[in-house]
Amino acid sequence: MACLLCAGLLLVALFAPSARGEDRVAREFVMIVNPANPVRSVSDDFLARAFFKQMTRWDHGEPIRPVDLHLTSPVRYAFSNGVLKRPPQAVRVYWLQRIFSGRDVPPLELDSEAAVIRYVLSSPGAVGYVSAATNPAPAKVLTVQ
Amino acid sequence: MLSTENNYLARSEDGSVEFTEVALNVTQALGDRLRLGVQLFARKLGPSGDFTAAFDWYYLDYRVDDWLGIRAGRIKIPFGLYNESNDVDAARVPVLLPQSIYPDHHRDLLLALTGGELYGNLVLGGVGQLEYRAYGGTFHLEGGAPSNPNIESTRTEVKYLAGARLMWLPPLDGLQLGGSFQALRYDAESTFDPAFTQVLIMADLAPADFGGVLTLEFPIQLWVASAEYTIGNLLLAAEYGRWWADLKSSHPTIIPSSGPTNERFYVMTSYRFAPWFSSGIYYSGYYEDVEQRDDYAKYQHDVAATVRFDLTDYWLLKLEGHLMIGTAALQPELNDGKELDTLEREWGFFLAKTTAYF
Repeated sequence: MACLLCAGLLLVALFAPSARGEDRVAREFVMIVNPANPVRSVSDDFLARAFFKQMTRWDHGEPIRPVDLHLTSPVRYAFSNGVLKRPPQAVRVYWLQRIFSGRDVPPLELDSEAAVIRYVLSSPGAVGYVSAATNPAPAKVLTVQ
Repeated sequence: MLSTENNYLARSEDGSVEFTEVALNVTQALGDRLRLGVQLFARKLGPSGDFTAAFDWYYLDYRVDDWLGIRAGRIKIPFGLYNESNDVDAARVPVLLPQSIYPDHHRDLLLALTGGELYGNLVLGGVGQLEYRAYGGTFHLEGGAPSNPNIESTRTEVKYLAGARLMWLPPLDGLQLGGSFQALRYDAESTFDPAFTQVLIMADLAPADFGGVLTLEFPIQLWVASAEYTIGNLLLAAEYGRWWADLKSSHPTIIPSSGPTNERFYVMTSYRFAPWFSSGIYYSGYYEDVEQRDDYAKYQHDVAATVRFDLTDYWLLKLEGHLMIGTAALQPELNDGKELDTLEREWGFFLAKTTAYF
């Protein structure tokens, strides 16, 4: 009986929607894409897969080009913990494993939010994040479901 | 490296600095779907490696879609959680990965193959996603020098190597569960000096019709089940596997055929306390023959503890201690040819390693 109870709790933990849920209202960043990108909203799962390069194309076929802020950026810290569910250092370890085994290379990393916005505006498939206090116009802000 | 008793990986009992690795890799995208990569690698770990730079891997990779990619060339073997990143010191806390599953002295057996691979990711709706890899090919494996000067290794060949890895990423962030399987066949041929052959025949150690050529076939199968969970700065990992190596000898009176099954497992945890400081521990167990668990020359228990200091973003220092019980993972050639059951059962092993990466 105890084993069944434990198995049940594990299944609930694995599949309960609340396991992934969080208060997005309080997020310190917004996701931005090129204004020509027809996508208006995405999920956290989509973003995580895009930034881990497990998903490489938007639904309309354009290659996804994720762009990160510098490792020490507090906005990156918020994005990494909120969306990737790992701190930036753990994500770095993930990419070191991928780089040195020849699997893939990490997203482009830029030093400033202005550089991220410029990159997003110049690249149709780009997706990045900036502080919620920053006005990213004319980049398009995505709704995250 | 320093050991209290026994020599491990190098002449460690007197202290050794023979542990150096250098890697340089380049990856270049050739359009949206095609990519090529190459890595040069040089190594010296005790008797293995001599700093000669060699192509560790090189490949062309074409990603048809997220669910299907094809790569060809010399590719790293996806076996278990960490085989592909075994050489990436910066990507983990321990200096040595658990040697039961990732034995450094079998690095050539598990490193890379020349052939092809299919891979992909499949999103499973509400139940997470699958990552799958399947590969086949062969690789060149140097035959070890026979210990008897009257015997010459005249042929070694890996007939085939094939395997697959399947990982399930359930909808619990940071958790992955999966398994890996690999099969290969290694053939070896040794030629005996004619005079030595006659001595063996006269001593009844070889049949009268023995022509001086001994062939050995090793069909080897390995599997490992893997689980890893990362949450925040905490990593938990465990793996369990078994390897079969059926030795088929052309002349069992000289070298008997045998087929022991060995058992390998570990549990590991690490935690990043600060961006500059991490620590980890693991317990790793290895039984050379699951039917003989009491002979200390046929098992190895390893309890390891590591501290890692990230001195800068690109430079780290690690200190690691191991309490070892058993001698199964030791190499007689590093221990003056002594039999493993004559070596010390309990011993300690310490490492300090620094790595720069960029």
